[in-house]
This record gives sequence, C-alpha cells and structure tokens, in this order.
Amino acid sequence: MPGLKCALTCLLVLATGPLIVFADEKEDHFEARIRPVLISSCVRCHGESKASGTLRLDSREGLLKGGESGPAIDAGKPEESRLIKAIQRHEDVSAMPPEKEKGLRPDQIAAFVTWVKEGAMWPAKTARLEAPRHWAFEPIRAVAPPDVKDTAWIKNGIDSLILARQEAAGVHPAAPADKIALIRRMTFDLTGLPPTPEEISAFEQDPSPQAVEQVIERLLKSPHYGEHWGRHWLDLVRYADTAGENSDHPLPHAWRYRNWVIKSFNDNQPIDVFLREQIAGDLIAADGPVEKYADRVVATGYMAIARRFGHDIDKDMHLTFEDTIDTLGKSMLGLTIACARCHDHKFDQISARDYYGLYGIFESTKFAFPGCEPKQQPRDLVPLLPPDEFARSIKPVLDQAASLDASIKNLSDELVGTARQLKELATKKVTSLSTGTIDDGGSAPFTANSGEQDSTGHIAVKRGDVIQLAITPRANHGADSTLVEFAITEVGGDARQWSVADLIDDFPTANPRTDRYGNAATWSYFDTRDGFAFLPENLDVIDGRRELKAWRNGDTPSIFVNTAKEPVKVWTTLPPRSFFMHPGQSGPVAIAWLCPFDGTITITGKITDAHPSGGDGVGWVLEQFHSLPVDPNATEKPLDFASAFTRTAEQRQALNAARKQRADMGPQLAVPVGFAVVEGEPRNTRLQKRGEPADLGDEIPRKFLDVLGGQTLQDGKTSGRRELANWITSPTNPLTTRVFVNRVWQWHFGRGIVTTPNDFGSRGVPPTHPELLDYLTAEFIRSGWNLHALHRLIMLSAAYRMSSAQHSHSPDLYASFARRRLTAEELRDSLLMVSGQLDPTPGAAHPFPPEASWSFSQHGPFAAEYETAKRSVYVMQKRNRRTRFFSLFDGPDPNASTPVRDVTIVPTQALFFLNDPFLHTSADKLAARLAVAPTDRDKIDLAHQLVFGRPASPDQVTDATEFLRDNPWPAYCRVLLSSNEFLFVD
Amino acid sequence: MMPRRQVIQSAVAGSLLMPGILQQLLADDSPGAIEPPPGVNDPLAPRKGHFPAKAKNVIFLFMTGGVSHVDSFDHKPRLYQDVGKEVKLDHPEIKNRPGYERIFLKRPQWDFQKHGECGTEVSTLFPHVAGCVDDIALIRSMHTDHSNHYNATLGMHTGSFAFARPSIGAWTSYGLGTENRNLPSFVTIAPAQTYAGTQVYASDFLPGAHQGTLVVPGAEPIANVAPRVGRTQQERELAALSKMNQKHLATRSDDPQLAARIKSFETAFGMQMAVPDAFDLTKESDATLQLYGLPRGSSSGFGWQCLMARRLVERGVRFVELIDTGSSGNWDSHGDMMDHARLAKNVDQPIAALLKDLKSRGLFEDTLVVWTTEFGRTPFNNTAEAKGREHHNWAFSSWLAGGGVKRGCAYGETDEYGIRVAKDGVHVHDFHATILHLMGLDHTRLTYRHSGRDYRLTDIHGNVVRDVLA
Repeated sequence: MPGLKCALTCLLVLATGPLIVFADEKEDHFEARIRPVLISSCVRCHGESKASGTLRLDSREGLLKGGESGPAIDAGKPEESRLIKAIQRHEDVSAMPPEKEKGLRPDQIAAFVTWVKEGAMWPAKTARLEAPRHWAFEPIRAVAPPDVKDTAWIKNGIDSLILARQEAAGVHPAAPADKIALIRRMTFDLTGLPPTPEEISAFEQDPSPQAVEQVIERLLKSPHYGEHWGRHWLDLVRYADTAGENSDHPLPHAWRYRNWVIKSFNDNQPIDVFLREQIAGDLIAADGPVEKYADRVVATGYMAIARRFGHDIDKDMHLTFEDTIDTLGKSMLGLTIACARCHDHKFDQISARDYYGLYGIFESTKFAFPGCEPKQQPRDLVPLLPPDEFARSIKPVLDQAASLDASIKNLSDELVGTARQLKELATKKVTSLSTGTIDDGGSAPFTANSGEQDSTGHIAVKRGDVIQLAITPRANHGADSTLVEFAITEVGGDARQWSVADLIDDFPTANPRTDRYGNAATWSYFDTRDGFAFLPENLDVIDGRRELKAWRNGDTPSIFVNTAKEPVKVWTTLPPRSFFMHPGQSGPVAIAWLCPFDGTITITGKITDAHPSGGDGVGWVLEQFHSLPVDPNATEKPLDFASAFTRTAEQRQALNAARKQRADMGPQLAVPVGFAVVEGEPRNTRLQKRGEPADLGDEIPRKFLDVLGGQTLQDGKTSGRRELANWITSPTNPLTTRVFVNRVWQWHFGRGIVTTPNDFGSRGVPPTHPELLDYLTAEFIRSGWNLHALHRLIMLSAAYRMSSAQHSHSPDLYASFARRRLTAEELRDSLLMVSGQLDPTPGAAHPFPPEASWSFSQHGPFAAEYETAKRSVYVMQKRNRRTRFFSLFDGPDPNASTPVRDVTIVPTQALFFLNDPFLHTSADKLAARLAVAPTDRDKIDLAHQLVFGRPASPDQVTDATEFLRDNPWPAYCRVLLSSNEFLFVD
Repeated sequence: MMPRRQVIQSAVAGSLLMPGILQQLLADDSPGAIEPPPGVNDPLAPRKGHFPAKAKNVIFLFMTGGVSHVDSFDHKPRLYQDVGKEVKLDHPEIKNRPGYERIFLKRPQWDFQKHGECGTEVSTLFPHVAGCVDDIALIRSMHTDHSNHYNATLGMHTGSFAFARPSIGAWTSYGLGTENRNLPSFVTIAPAQTYAGTQVYASDFLPGAHQGTLVVPGAEPIANVAPRVGRTQQERELAALSKMNQKHLATRSDDPQLAARIKSFETAFGMQMAVPDAFDLTKESDATLQLYGLPRGSSSGFGWQCLMARRLVERGVRFVELIDTGSSGNWDSHGDMMDHARLAKNVDQPIAALLKDLKSRGLFEDTLVVWTTEFGRTPFNNTAEAKGREHHNWAFSSWLAGGGVKRGCAYGETDEYGIRVAKDGVHVHDFHATILHLMGLDHTRLTYRHSGRDYRLTDIHGNVVRDVLA
C-alpha cells in the first residue's frame, strides 16, 4: 500500500502542482506555518481561557464545530471557510485579528488556505495550543542587578538597570543636576510648590552627604505633600464636586473623600490599606477601632462620586455602575474592563461574565444619592458614626424629626386645601361693592355701593358674610406700598366700629385674628393669587426698624404697619400709626372682615399710593361674599367662612408650633455624613446582552476577573466588596502593585515605565524596562506597600538626580532628566505663593447653597464658581462646566480617569500670561513684596529667588536694571512670571 | 479681501524690539506652510483629509430647545385636517406620564408654501430662509436616540448620548488642523450655555488645542485678548521676555517645547490684533449690516453672531458654531408654540443673510452651513387644544447648504402626521458622517486611540447620506 499511496500522490502532485503536500509534510506544515500563527494571533481570544463568540481555535474539533457564527472551516474548501475569509478580511465577516495592524501577512494567509484545502490536518500528537500569558499577569520576578561598566555612577538598584540599557545603546547618563535645580525639582515633585529662598539656601549650605535625604524627609512631612500626591490620585478617580447628571447637582459632602485622600498620603497609609478602604471601608470600619470609623466610611466616596447620568439618575444606574467599574479597572488594575459591558473584551482576556460578575457587587451596594432634577434632595448619605452609636444618640431624634416633617407637610396640605375650598365658596354668591384705580402717587376715597344698599349706603349683612378689600397691581412695576384706611360701622345695634387702625397694635399676633370685641377670626390677611392663602410669615422688624411689622408671603404680597407715633423713613416715608397693603407683582393682597352679626353696616375707606415710583399706581376691589343658607337636612355641615377661618387659625397655630419645634431640633441633627456607600441588597445580576439593561441573559455569580484568578464569593450574604478589596490587593495578584509602582515612577520622571499607565492590557504599551518595573514592585511589596519608602528609593537614585540641560531625544533611555511644564494646579499655586497670596490652610466644604433650596434643572443647572486663595486641589470643580483656567492648562478630566496630563502649548495660554487679571494681580503683589529689599539690586535678586529659586546672574542684573529704567516693577514681575524658567522644572 | 497683513505690519512696523515676530506672523499667512518643530506635537498644523474636501470650513447653527418640524420645514396637510384625532403611541415622553393617558393630534400654527425653483415647502415661521431653499439640502427624516434635552444636545454635538466625548468641532480641528494660527481653529459663539454646558464644545480626550474657544457676545468676546497695558509697554515686556527666554533656551539644548512656548507668545501677540480685527465691524458696509438686520454699533444678537461667523471663516477658522439661546427661554415651547415666532424672528433673517453674504463673497462653495436642533416636537399633545408641543426624538428636520451640498433638494420623509420617519431615515451618526465626508474626512478612519480603544465621532455607526451631496 505505501507504494500505491506514493504513486497516487505523485500523480496528484503532477496534476495540481505545489498545493499538494504529503502527510508528514502536512504535519510539518501545521507545526511550522499554522501552529505559530494560531498561538500568536488567535488562541488568546479563542482558546481555553477565553472563547470569544464561543469559538475556540485550539483544536480541530473546535474549528469544525465553530462558534456563534457557524463553523470556522469547511475542510477542503477554503473559499467556504469563515476562518479564511476572516484572515483575508472579507467584508462579509468580522476581520481577524481585529486590529488591522496585526493582520496576517499574505504568505501566512496563503499557508492557511493551503492547510484548509488539504483537509486542515491536525497532528494526533501535538502540544496543546496555549497563548503565552500576557506579561502583566505574570508573577513579579526577582531581578538580579545587571553588570555595568560605570559602577561609580550607581547609587542604588534602579541605576544599574537604567545604566545597563544606556551602555547597550552607547549612551552616557547626563551629569548630576546642580543643587538649585535639584531642590526645585524635589520640591515641586513632592509638594507641587516651589521651594522658598530659605529652604534653598539651607540646602545649598549643607555639604553633608545626607542633605538630599534630609530634604526628602522634610518634604514628606509637609502637609503640602498630601495635597500634591492626593491630586495625582484624584485625577485617576475623576474626582469632582458635582454629580454630572443633566442638572449637575453639587456634592456637598464629597470634600471629605478628597481630604481623606490627602490625609492618607500625608499619613503614609500603606497602599493596600488605602485601596481596600476605598472599596470596603464601611465594612472594615465595623471591625473597629471606633476612631477610624468615620475615615473608613468616607473612603468609600471612591465609589459614591461615580458619575450620574440622565434626568432621573435612578433610571441610568447601569451607566453609573459602568463608570464605577471603568474607574476601578483603570485606577487600581490598569485594565479597561468596561469594554466588556456590551461584549467580551475585543483585545484582552476579559469577558462579559467578568464585567457582570463585578457589576453584581456594585449593584448589591447602596450609593449615596446626590439629587437630580425630578428628585432634588440628596438621600442615603452615610452617617459617620458607628451604627450602635447612631441608634443610641441620633436615631430617636431623626425619627422625631421625620414625624414632625410629616405633620408639617400634612398641615401645610390642609391649609392649601382650605384655601382652595374658600376660593370655590367665594364664587357662590358675590356682591361687588366698589372698584377703582389710582395713578402713581394718587389717592382716592371709596364707599360701599352695592345693589342692595339704600340711599344711605347701608349694606345688609349676615353673620358669616365676608367683606374683602383687595389691592391689585396694575402694570407690575412694583413699588406698590399702599396706605389703606378702611372702616366698617354697624348701623343701629351697638353701633360697633371695626377699623384697620385697630390692628396696628399687636399687629403680629395672629392671622386670622380676633377683633377688639372678642369675635374670633374676624380679620384675615390673604394672598389671593391662588385661592385664599393666609399670609404665612410675620416679621417683627423691617429694614432693621422695630416699629415696622408685617405679614407677608415671600417679599410680596404683604400687609405692614408703622406702629410709631412718628413718620418712619425707609424706602419711602411712612406716616405715623399707619396701615399698608402691598400687592405682589402678579396678583393682589387682601384683607377680609368676617361679619359677627346679622344687621346693617356702612363702609368707608381711602387708599393712597404711599411710594410714588414705577408710574403704574394700584387698584382696589371691595366685595361681599355671602354666607350660604344651610340645608337643615344635610348630614354634614358644609364649609362656611367662619368655620374655615377658625379652623385655619388652629391649623396655623399647630403648624407654627411644629415648625418651631423642628427648627429647634436643628443642632441635634447635625450628624456629620459622608458621600459614601453602604451594603445594599446582596444579589447576583443578570448579563445585559449588548449592554442593554432591558435585554437580560444568564445570572452571573459575583466574582473577580478570570484572568486574575476568577475568585467567587463564599456565600452570597454580602455585596462582596470586602472580598473584592482583598482580591485586588492579594499578594497573588501582580497587577495592582505593578500598576501603582509604575504610576509613582511616572509622577517622578514624567513618563511611566509602561507609558499607558491605565492600560496594562494587550493594547497598552509594554514596559520600556520590565526588570526595573519588577525590581521596584518587589521592593514596594517588601516594604509593606510603603509609598514614602518608594519615594526615597527613586529620589536617591542617580537617575533621578541627573541634569536636564541636555535634551534627550530617546526618552526611553533616561539619559537625562525630563524637563516638565508645571501642571495647571502647580502654576496657579506657584503664582499665589510667590506673590504672597496663597492661603496654605486646608480646604473643607464648599459654600454650596443649602440642600433644601435646590431646584436645579437641565434648563438651570448648578453653575456657580467659588473664588478661593487656597491650593488648587481645594477649588470646586464641576463636571458639566469646567473651570476655564484648568481646561486651558490641561487640567484633569472630571468625567474620566486621567492617567497622564497632556502638555499642550497653545497661544491662548500665552494670552493668559499677557492679559489675565489673575496674572496681573499676582505681578502687582509680587512687586509689592519686593519692597522689603533695600536696593534695586537686592530687589532684583529677591525676585529671582522667589520666582526661579536662584539669585540673579550678573548679566540678568544688567538686563533688569536696563529694563527698569523705563518700566515699573510690576512690568518686570510680569516678565518673570511669564518666563519659561518659571513655568518649567528642570 | 482682508487687511490682516497690513494690520500686522503697521502694528509691528518700526518696532525693533521683536524682530522675529513680524516675519513669523506673515509667514503664517501662507496656508499649509507650517511645520511643527521636531519633537513638538503641533496639533493645529493644517493637514490634508482622507480625500479631497468639498468644503474648507463649517458654520454649525444650533437651535437650542427643539424646533418643531411640523411647524417649520415638514409640511403635514393631514395634521391640519385630522386635528383632535386620537393616536396611540409608545412614545418616550408620554410613557407613565400622568395626564398623558390619551393623546390627540394638534394642528400646526403656521401655514406652508412652496418656495424657489425647487418648490420645497417651508412655513411662514421662516420667511427669509424660505427664500434660500434653492441653496439648501433639507433633511426631513432626522432622528435621534434620546428625548431629553441634555442627552440629545450632547448627542448632536459629540455622537454620545450619555458620556463626555469630543465635540464635532474638536474632531474637525483634530482631522484638519487650521489655516490661520492667529485665531483658534474652533470657535463657539453663544450668548448663554446650552444644555450639557461646556461639554458641547469640549475636546475631551483629544488634545486640548482642539477645544472650542467660547465667544460670548459683548465687550471682550474672547477671554484675555484685550491688552491690559498699552502697546508700547507690552512690546517692551515681550522683548524682555523674549530675551530672557532665549538665554534660558540657549543653555538647554534648544528644547523644542521651550522654543514652542516662545513662539506661542508671538502668536498670542498677533491674536491680540487679529481677533479685534475679526470682531471689528466698522468697515462692514451699511448694506451688509442691513442684510443681517444689525444696527451699527451692536455687538450682540443672532445677526451679529452670523456676521461674525462669516468673518471668522473668511479668516480661516475651521469650525464655527453658533448657538442661538441658552438652556432656558429657548425653542422648548411646552407652554405655547407661539413662542416659536419670537425665536424664529431672532434667527430667520440673519441665517438667510449669512447664506446670501457667503454667496456674494464667493465663500459659499468653501463653507458648509449646517442648521439643526436637538430634536423635533410632538405633532400631538394630551389635548388638541394644548398650546404647546412636547419633545420628539423620532423625527425632526435639519438642513445643509454650501460646499459640496446638493442644492434645492429635500431628502427623507416622515409619515402623514410627522410622527415617525417613513423613508430614508438619517440618524445623528449619519448626519455627522455626512458633515465629515464633506470636509474630506472618512468618519470610519478619523479615530483617536484613548484608553485602549480607537474612538470615533460616529462610534461604530453612521452612513454618509450620498443623496444630499452635489
């Protein structure tokens, strides 16, 4: 048979040319041409650890079975095979590999065509196809220092790893930086501020070998260290002081998280603890001690400050969870996990199951609620007291407050209801008695003039009727203070008289109020814009004048009196012992008299414009609302004016009492709260197909990323945040420490060893110095995740102390130190500091308006800016309206994790230096500071010391002297503050 | 055409204090001549697109609040006949909304007429724009993803309806750079902030140089462009600064970022003249001012904005956006549709003037004019007598005019009541793809790598609407 086979195949070879290969050649072809490509380009996403589209390409069976789109190959028919079409990048299938730049070469594609045509031979004995693990997921390796020639340059382990690469490339390290450049570099690096002249001269005059170390120790103890390094972390967690939903609600408690971050750096909190507390601080807090309770709860602001979306943010929480997962992935793990919301990650080994495994953890967590347009007030703020302490001291008070709030609301609703009923009642039977207008500054008397009067102006009244005098605005120009005289006289009987003059004494007593004959609720003051709303608020003092008293609803409408026997001059002159009515801009104010008897009355009155201004005058309307006959058969007594007024009086009294009680509780309720999270209802979530919350797939257990171990929860009784915090900081997870250490390197050298610090995945850039990264990481772990120790290691290296004079064209080699522009914050803080304006004390809460007053909308979003002379980290930052200065100088993005600050140099920045009032003010103040120096020469020197941290050189003194002959000192200061030397750190 | 060269020459003439500046400023006048120094990322250098562009500049007119399509550009005769007829719809604005259990067709409050040779129907709300229909490609089949102002406005500007992303002006600047280095590449002229605030003109993850420069009508339209000291004083300070910086640079091996910053002061110095020159209307003729309905001396109003847009594109600004009103008091006529009359009156004559002015100056062929809003308004309401209309993202009208745009055509249709798109729907992503296409940019290839992913204005969507191309 072998012979026959040979003969046949030989014939076939002749017939079809070079496409035909022999069996063992087929094996060779597979091993040499197919396997390497499958390993390097395919099985990472279509293999054992991840099977994108449920397709696996690590066995022949997998290829034939295919995935969601069908079989990958049709053995013998390359033109029918999806795999071939995919690598040929046909339009009707998804091109593979997806990254165009990683597409297969023509010869590789040809090899696959041949292989499929020949039956897709898969050797029976062949090694398993496994993708090499991505470097970032490999354990941290021990690094031996490489041999270098220039051993004298080496100060520590960093240097040999840097130098070895330089020597291989034939490059020499730059000379050490001079002391002045070095202290300026160290001070900006650790505190974000320039060194003071005193600090510089102390360092210059310290010849000891420990001088650098001592400066580092001094800077690490400065409170400004945490402000600068805290800002680095706040960049990563897209910290902002507003929520980012459509109306950008303020977050009045977020500052506690900001300050906690700053304090954590100042306290040199071990970084694993720092990370764990941000995810599970509330749970860790329960373990005690009680002194740490508040801080640990505040730490979970990390999650609570996630961005909110849309109009009713409760409806878009899936986006907020995405934002949380995205930020968690980038800031702690250096991974872009959020891509897996809609589909398995296209490039990394992260599946949609991974994403929803984390999603369930956050969905089982209750985030503090910031407020949004339809739900203005915040809720679920987290008390910074342990639960038992809270239950003992605060909970009863809160419960009482809640019940008071409920009764206040009920009483208010009842009052509104009564006002509406009265409006209805007043339309039943009405007699118009008198109407008219007066012009600006005018005056007019009036008498009642109804159809039922006799010639003497007598008006028949019944007990329970209401006589109402309303003052109406005309052209809404305001300035409608109206002097009112108004008297009702009983005809016959006791000839009693009622007059508004009677009301002047004891004016604030009540509304409605009793008359001088003891009849209840005889007089009432109304805002009649919407029914009969009793003017709710009484004032004992107006414009600081105790003799003026008022009832009012808001500023207007109002009724007020001058109780003094003399005129009072305020916005206009108010005559002695006088009674005024002031309508609202959009509606009248009224006084009503409830008739206490059946009989006859006469009415006289006069109105006078007491504040001629605005040119529009006012009008009056005098009406009688008749009480209605009561049906004797009615089971329920219908509402009448008398009972409504009395009831209102009682309700108002109760309401005022409740309000006072509630207001008195204020101080007891001042529980400090955090914008933080607590446990919610623990549950697994269901996968959202293509990221659509309405299209649900399988339930996904809460879990960690498969690529980092895929750990799941022991039991499902908690959210899983404590476990997540431990998984992230587990010693078996090499990613968290590598990612953090890389950032620290970047924040010192301006460039990460991995230059994509938020992306350590396959789309990120591999490390320029993998051994250095592992060396630093190992040292960091050995020190107990001690950041200050890492600073010392880095800053004491020779590499850190190189000069930047020589511009290096290959930054990967670190042949010189990279000069850098100040960040937006450093620029602002330096301008404040050198000009003596900086307030160095820590910031606290922002002066947001009180929560109860919020009514932000997409039409009128929160948009305030608050000036401060404190450091920039304490400036209030909004999500939807960025502060111009910070966006001009490439400040952080408050909506997304910012791993690296861009450095753009654009003319609009130069315009800031030329013309911005802040720059000009700073120059003026700097010039004023120079006055302490006795001579011009000393002033020039001091200016250089303050701005550049060095004395002026002789030719600079010459230049300056020449300039100052024709120009004032502030002009010179503007030049210094605009210079490159000020803006850049060598 | 423009005296910029002279302005600069006269400004710097005789000044020996800054010998480099004059040369620099004048050199910048030749388009495409700018090479960034090695090692410096110069994001604004003019670049060629993916294919030859039909237009060089964009003027993007955004009407805040949601313009009613059935009252303006989408004539629906059945809506006049069937007023009061009840309709049943699963509409986002009525779902679970108390009082909206039943909805009824509402009659448009303006009448339509055919205009121009093309016969496109436009209502009496826009009499002046109606006179320009022969130059316009009207799209009556626009639709968008969200019925909320904030989200729809963000979507119309960034292609993203929830997340902060670069705006279309920033993408255009990123794709093409700019021709005039004395002016920003992307300018937004807005009397007040629209929905979503600064996000609508932000560069987001694109380099900051591409973010829109905000111009607020009034005394100092661009921040810090007005010199705070006299010219001679400033020249002396700049000369001293230049000398100081040159000495600093000399000992730092000509670090290109230091050199770039020195140059940025020269450009800024030029901007101080170029910007006021661009904003100075004294040399505009009475006839031009009248065309825009702009009283002489006025520096506000939409007429001023439109005239400024022409002057800015004339000077090579790549993308100018005009926003007519802020996030309140705008086209959001829930209460009374008659408020549309006030808003239309504000923009109608100026827009028509802009089109005519661009034509008479030979700029029309190089300029793409875009008119849009964030969504339409419901052809129905909860009573037929209701005075207002609600938000409607299912259909609305926008239009294009100018460079590369087919003249006098109407594309796409809505159903008989203007409720849904019936034919040739154009999603916001398609609209964006078409605008980029006219600018010579392929929306699938205009990408930016950010946090591990290539981002596009059109995300993974968008088709160029070929039928509106000339």
